[in-house]
Amino acid sequence: MGRKVITVQDLPQLFEKVAENMADHAAQLCEMDAKLGDGDLGLTMKKGFSALPDIIRTIEEEDLGKVLMKSGMKMNSVVPSTMGTLMGSGIMGGGKALVGKTEMRAAEFADFLTGFCSGLENRGKCRRGDCTVLDAFATALDWVKESLSENDLVLTMQKAVDGAKAGTEATKSMKPKFGKAAVHANAATGVPDQGAVAGTYMLEGMLHFVEQ
Amino acid sequence: MKKIINRPETYVDDMLSGIYAAHADQVRYVNDDLRCYCTKNKKEGKVAIVTGGGTGHLPLFLGYVGDGLLDGCGVGGVFQSPSAEQIYEISKAVDNGSGVLYLYGNYTGDIMNFDMASELCEMEGIKTRSIVGADDVLSGEPEIRRGVAGIFFMYKAAGACADKMGSLEEVLAAAQKAKDATRTVGFALTPCIIPEVGAANFQLKENEMAMGMGIHGEPGIWTGELKKAQDIAAECLDAILKDMPMAEGEEVAVLINGLGATSIEELYILNSSVSKILKEKGIGVYRTFVGEYATSMEMAGASISLCKMDSQLKEYLDYPVNTPFYCQK
Repeated sequence: MGRKVITVQDLPQLFEKVAENMADHAAQLCEMDAKLGDGDLGLTMKKGFSALPDIIRTIEEEDLGKVLMKSGMKMNSVVPSTMGTLMGSGIMGGGKALVGKTEMRAAEFADFLTGFCSGLENRGKCRRGDCTVLDAFATALDWVKESLSENDLVLTMQKAVDGAKAGTEATKSMKPKFGKAAVHANAATGVPDQGAVAGTYMLEGMLHFVEQ
Repeated sequence: MKKIINRPETYVDDMLSGIYAAHADQVRYVNDDLRCYCTKNKKEGKVAIVTGGGTGHLPLFLGYVGDGLLDGCGVGGVFQSPSAEQIYEISKAVDNGSGVLYLYGNYTGDIMNFDMASELCEMEGIKTRSIVGADDVLSGEPEIRRGVAGIFFMYKAAGACADKMGSLEEVLAAAQKAKDATRTVGFALTPCIIPEVGAANFQLKENEMAMGMGIHGEPGIWTGELKKAQDIAAECLDAILKDMPMAEGEEVAVLINGLGATSIEELYILNSSVSKILKEKGIGVYRTFVGEYATSMEMAGASISLCKMDSQLKEYLDYPVNTPFYCQK
């Protein structure tokens, strides 16, 4: 069941699903953020991902990678906060890995995730274990690689979501190195990284689209 | 919330259109975007300096765009970074062919956007270098310190060096020199309100102050009973001089900065103690700046910065500048 492929034409609806999922969890993300940061993470994620479908519709391009690269850049302009910039950079990195492709199947989704992680690493200057959104995406990628032989987009994305959840769970015991969470390192112990939680919701939104 | 606004969401752009209306002879915006703030005076071959950061700190950041100081400023939402695209558009507009120095405060969102803008410039053949202000002593170890009012000294040094036609590397070195010589300690008496949030992000009781609090309300090192001006001055200077020891006979420039709601009178009361303490320690004061240089909207409180002088920094500091928000003959 579900979709086997995502095309360039599908991208606006794909990110509409992500935006819906962010909207559903906006209050929770804001609440998490208020304890350690300035309390607007949910609003930022909702605003950034809601803007993507229209941004993508205005890009005249058949190359899936290039569309993603350009839209990541534009998304950053809509929400230039820390997490907005990181997500935009992730999408740009994922797009970079897909230049020349016109559709995304399980293998291309793995490439997208690989590029997404590079985008996060380069922009955020973070590594695995630093208690960031990267811990969710990198673990998602690990789990995806294990299931690639099945060549099933829905299954692969399900693995990505499960992996992201595991990666997020692991951030509970990590010591934050960046941003306001690092300043409140004691308050952050035992709490999952809010960026990782937001990252998981992005992948979950993508899964909702392919499950249809 | 009691503010003179139209709507919270138009706070930044309404402010900007007021600034352009008042100072059209000196500043302009590019890319059809009010938030891409640039000087009108281009100087052939001069290294351009671009800053940027969130709104809510006037005259920081855009107030230092003008003759002898900076060339452009990315204006973000209240307490938010400007976007990479905005910084890139400003860079293209102000580059005089000799490269662009990015000089801004040490905040994660700003760093990511300036870095991204720098990559975009590179693709366009515009050379950039970056340096961040990180002078807030009580915010942690040197590399993670926040940038606050002390960035003024970096602006002065880099601005003077660039105006004297220094190269990009020399302008960067001038900024670095001022950075190494500058330390700040600040404190808050009341919070401020982000218009779109509508409520204060922290609370202080009537008789309380927060030592070491950041200009976005980041928690400080202690919250407690409001002390006398002379005791506050002593504590701030202790923290600064512990971090940047100075010998008798050395000289500093002093910057007493108000956070927005504190009266200039109080700032001078603070300076009375600061100058007395420095004198007792045998530290000379080359120049004193008292006023609002980096605010936090209507937050009450102040910060004290010291910049250790040498002959070159004195020359940079004395260099005449003229912007809509700051003049020095």
